[in-house]
Amino acid sequence: MAGNGNARRDSTGDLRLENLSKIFPEREGQGEVRAVNDVSLTISAGEFVTLLGPSGCGKTTTLRLIAGFELPTSGRILLDGKDISMQPPNKRDMSLVFQSYALFPHMTVFDNIAYGLRTAGMPRAQVQAKVNEALAQMDLEGLGERRPNELSGGQQQRVALARSLVMEPRVLLFDEPLSNLDAKLRVQMRSEIRRLQRRLNITSVYVTHDQIEAMAMSDRIVVMNAGRIEQIGTPQEVYRYPQSRFVADFIGRANFIETRVEAVDGEQVTATVLGRTVHVPMEPLPKVNDPLVAVLRPESLYITDDTAGYPAVIEQTMYLGAETEYIVQAEGQALTVIESGLSALRLFDEGQTVGLSFEDEAIHFLPQTESVAV
Amino acid sequence: MTAISPRRYVDQFRRIFQDPILAISLIVVTVFLLLAVVLPILAMIGESTSPEGRPLFAHYLGTSTYQTIISNTVVMGLVVATVGTALGFLFAYVQVKVKAPFKRFMHIVALIPIISPPFAVATATIVLFGRNGLISKGIFGVRYNIYGLHGLTLVLALSYFTVVYLNLKGMMQALDPALEEAATNLGASKWRIFRTVTVPMLIPGLLSSFLLLFVESIADLGNPLVMGGNYEVLSTRIYISVIGLYDTTAAAVFSVILLVPSLTVFIVQRYWIGRMSVVSVTGKPTGTPQLITNRWVRWPLFGLTMFITLLIILIYATIFIGAFTRVVGVNNDFTLDHFDFVINGYGSAAMTDTTTLAAVATPLAGLLGMLLAFLVVRKEFLGRSALDFAGMLGIAVPGTILGIGFLLVFNNPIQLTLPFGGAEPLTITLIPKLTGGRAILGGALAIVIVYIVRSVPAALRAGVAALTQIDPAIEEASISLGADNARTFRKITLPLIRPAFLSGLIYAFARSMTSLSAIVFLTTPQTKIMTHQILNEVENGRFGNAFAYCVILILIVLVAISILYLTVGSTTGAERTLEGGA
Ligand SMILES: Nc1ncnc2c1ncn2[C@@H]1O[C@H](COP(=O)(O)OP(=O)(O)O)[C@@H](O)[C@H]1O
Ligand SMILES: [Mg+2]
Repeated sequence: MAGNGNARRDSTGDLRLENLSKIFPEREGQGEVRAVNDVSLTISAGEFVTLLGPSGCGKTTTLRLIAGFELPTSGRILLDGKDISMQPPNKRDMSLVFQSYALFPHMTVFDNIAYGLRTAGMPRAQVQAKVNEALAQMDLEGLGERRPNELSGGQQQRVALARSLVMEPRVLLFDEPLSNLDAKLRVQMRSEIRRLQRRLNITSVYVTHDQIEAMAMSDRIVVMNAGRIEQIGTPQEVYRYPQSRFVADFIGRANFIETRVEAVDGEQVTATVLGRTVHVPMEPLPKVNDPLVAVLRPESLYITDDTAGYPAVIEQTMYLGAETEYIVQAEGQALTVIESGLSALRLFDEGQTVGLSFEDEAIHFLPQTESVAV
Repeated sequence: MTAISPRRYVDQFRRIFQDPILAISLIVVTVFLLLAVVLPILAMIGESTSPEGRPLFAHYLGTSTYQTIISNTVVMGLVVATVGTALGFLFAYVQVKVKAPFKRFMHIVALIPIISPPFAVATATIVLFGRNGLISKGIFGVRYNIYGLHGLTLVLALSYFTVVYLNLKGMMQALDPALEEAATNLGASKWRIFRTVTVPMLIPGLLSSFLLLFVESIADLGNPLVMGGNYEVLSTRIYISVIGLYDTTAAAVFSVILLVPSLTVFIVQRYWIGRMSVVSVTGKPTGTPQLITNRWVRWPLFGLTMFITLLIILIYATIFIGAFTRVVGVNNDFTLDHFDFVINGYGSAAMTDTTTLAAVATPLAGLLGMLLAFLVVRKEFLGRSALDFAGMLGIAVPGTILGIGFLLVFNNPIQLTLPFGGAEPLTITLIPKLTGGRAILGGALAIVIVYIVRSVPAALRAGVAALTQIDPAIEEASISLGADNARTFRKITLPLIRPAFLSGLIYAFARSMTSLSAIVFLTTPQTKIMTHQILNEVENGRFGNAFAYCVILILIVLVAISILYLTVGSTTGAERTLEGGA
């Protein structure tokens, strides 16, 4: 597996999940937990896909199904068209980077990285060369003889990464690999991982509950909720055009304003939001008089002097340096507004009556479903 | 259960059978435990419920002689458990909570009984405190009758309290000192803390120690044989039934009667006390424990502990000196005859046989224990907890019972006869005759199997405790990097649980070298076992030979422990294997 070289790198690593479900017996008690519920997903070779969702939504289980540590209750997993659902995990050409790093504490850094290569029976000299190359690539030179417990958290993370990367697997799997690092290192490592992944062009499935991390790294994001996929799309798509309140709320922050369809014309819907009539494309098209929810990101709302815009009262002002966050009361509900750049220089006082406005393009409509609870 | 259950079990086995080596290990382990533990016990129960056996139950349970034997057994178990637990607690408390001198010394002395053969203590006690005892008669001038319950209690408690001591010591050290500090802050006195914080937290530990001692003492054979006098218990009765009366049916009936309390205690321990939330073990206790310095508490506790420490030393010194003395107390001339007898004479074969068999059993028991622990902790399959249960049975069941079971199952070859329609039927020997005359390898195989069965439980528990401390992701990482279960076990699991493996090996060797009850029915003229011969020497009053045997046995165990430490225990040793195989 490790010796296959780089030649096939461009052509393989197509991963397909078909109607994948996993039911666990409840840990305590007699019930069952549907950890993954009918998940279908196609990941093309070299793509970086992130599974994003709140804790307990089934991200890890999905990843472990792909890795082969769990067997699906139903559904299939295909790698380059071949059904691997029943293949044991050590036979799958994939490598998993663990949240806890899972370094072998009784081995040196060198032996940790060499482990998979030796398991595959690679000749000694070649192992030596590959591991040294990996050490250099990951900025770990001179640490080869150290034990994992003699390394900093960031170094351990690099060793874990190097250990998986030297295997040149068809698919790399990551389970919240950065969650144990401090914020600064996390930002640095995420761009490093992305850089390496781009260069080696290895299909990657990355699990995180951190939406910023997901946005920063991914070609596509798979938003999961309660075992199901809520939405699949590029970072821009999921941010700009969330398909559910859940996604809108989980990715970034959102104000939800209820309204009604006034007219449908071609692909556009006409409705009134904060006293202004807007025309916004929507799919699928609703019928006239259907209830709608307008999604407005806090940064798409502007506060102006009281005469222009929709009347609102500043309830709370939070000066955060780079931006200012306001909670305003408008149309009987509290809205969040974030002002940044030059407009953040002018502070409005709490209790002041102001006008709210926005660009029409910033509006995104969702059908109003009964499941409002988020 | 729910509707998905059957499918879930199918999934689990599909999972295991993905890896042939894993599947084979599981099958081998299961078959071994079935044949070597479960089948003998079932055969013994079967024999007791045979037409000849059934009436015996009513007879034994209804006759006062036998009722006395049964109540003797229970009383002895309770008394020894109480005294032994108290001793273990005393040693642990002084070690962990009291400011006292010579702690290290007392600790080491408390460990000695683990590695000594069963009647070393009993024999030395007779020499010191018996009718012609060096101390009883020599110093106090009384012809004291040490035989009976009081003598038995003394030797059994001294022989078995070490395990209790180590358990309770571990627990007390794990007790978060912050708890006691909190109690002190709330104004509690030391005595009040002891009553309301320390003791309640240790109750599960005390209970399980008590039960352990109860089972160990009612299962013990050597000490009641040597020290019992007229105080007869079930284990000695079983022994006499087999050895003296050749009545295995009666032995089986007594065994079942003995099995009831043993198994009950085991099950209570496993499913009730095991579940009680034990001490809040926080891993790294914070703060330093406050040692007791009050002299009215400190010195009496120290004095009592030191007295018992010195008593143990006196007993072992007697063994050692007795081995070089013609007849202790009668003719105190120095002699090497006893050693000559053991090393060059009659005992020589037993010495080599026992050591060889123990040496063969030890790595097998250690590996089997770790493998079982791996399967039980890391794998999910139907019957997992039954496998764990069967693994523990080897120690839950008294050795004599296991021995009789072996006699019943393996005294004849187990054969499969395939009839071929009128032609000569084909007979395949599945398992050859393992015990008795003309047994395969002179009965050595049966003894090795018994040694393994008796040693696996300790290794299993140590392995389970160690494995639950290790992040399963580490083993998954190995698998994710392409290693199969076998390589993962060899390269990752085993090195990581090496301390447990080491203690499993040490325990297995010591246990095998010193075990008597389980093999007493299995020795043959071709296979001589030291403990059995020590028993003969003691019964015939040749204490000098017995002491020489004991000294040599202890030396062999000590040497073996050193060798194990050097090969398995050292960091460098393990690393060499790791790299060598890579
Ligand atoms: N081995 C298991 N047995 C029972 N329930 C499990 C098991 N693994 C995960 N679950 C349950 O499945 C759900 C999804 O878990 P997981 O995939 O770990 O979520 P995430 O990684 O998104 O936080 C949770 O409710 C969790 O409790
Ligand atoms: Mg997770």
